[in-house]
Amino acid sequence: MSSEQRSEWQAAFWQGARDAIPLFGGYIAVALSFGLVAIQAGFSSFEAILISTFIYAGASQFLFVAMFATGAPLWLIIATTLLINARHIVYGPNLAPYFTPHRAWPWLMHGLTDQVFAMALTQLEQLREAQRLPWFIGLALFAWLSWIAGTALGAIGGSELTKHWPLLAEAMPFALPALFLVLLAPRFNSGRWALVLSGTVVLALIMKVLGYPNAAIPLAAISGAICFQVMHRYQLRKGAEA
Amino acid sequence: MTFDVGFALVVIALATFLMRAIPVIWLQRRLRGQSDEHRVDSIPTWLSVLGPLMIAAMLGVSLVPEPLTLGLSLATLVGALVTLLVWFWRKSLGWPVFAGVVSYAVVMLLL
Repeated sequence: MSSEQRSEWQAAFWQGARDAIPLFGGYIAVALSFGLVAIQAGFSSFEAILISTFIYAGASQFLFVAMFATGAPLWLIIATTLLINARHIVYGPNLAPYFTPHRAWPWLMHGLTDQVFAMALTQLEQLREAQRLPWFIGLALFAWLSWIAGTALGAIGGSELTKHWPLLAEAMPFALPALFLVLLAPRFNSGRWALVLSGTVVLALIMKVLGYPNAAIPLAAISGAICFQVMHRYQLRKGAEA
Repeated sequence: MTFDVGFALVVIALATFLMRAIPVIWLQRRLRGQSDEHRVDSIPTWLSVLGPLMIAAMLGVSLVPEPLTLGLSLATLVGALVTLLVWFWRKSLGWPVFAGVVSYAVVMLLL
């Protein structure tokens, strides 16, 4: 690697790290809550950190500790947790066209959370090929570290922190919807997309209000995709008739 | 750590990683040798549509405050509007998110 290539690699890596900053607000706040919940459920700080390091999937981690705390059967804990994580199956193939030929990509998929996926889907296509791998490493690594650090903070001193700065702990999670909003805003570039995206947001919102937060993401997205396909075919047929 | 916790942790961590990595390996093999434009074009339409829609669904879920109260709903609405306004102005990632969180906190403080 020449010095020019090395400096481009480093610049892209730090750009990825900087792009991870908007994730920190949500990640640290949620991970802090996870650390607290894990301790209350009878896990040690070390176990909570291990769970965040190796499972690294928000909703399923909460379910994991809650089900253990209630004494659910082992097979049910594993099956339910994996069912929630199944949505990750479609993330990688959406990003794969932007991946450069390199053996590291599949290993880096450990860092492919909902938020990292959303960020990568909108940013990777704007980067040059040589920048994509270091950018993704910077983004995924710093997001992962913030999740682990947040868990450690919550497990070790979470109750003290939330007692002293309650507003900070309550406001920080808003960083996640704000980030999704910013990532989605440029996609409202046609009538069809605006309609389908708005419908998907509203459907997911309603399902969450009705008490189905985990089913909301895949079901709302699949419903949106079906509507998109129906509208696409209708427009094609209309074009053929005209 | 009990055997049950350790066993479940290993199985879930491994299976979650495989769910994230195997589809990438499969598609990378399928797309090998194609140019950047062809790679994007050759993924099925339903799959390329599903990506942005997953983000939309995550947005919908994350917009519901916990607990669902009028005050937090108002803070969410104001935070979302401020985020969008700053995005129209700056067209960047960091500032709109920062402004959204600050406005959300201000509304919570005022209520």
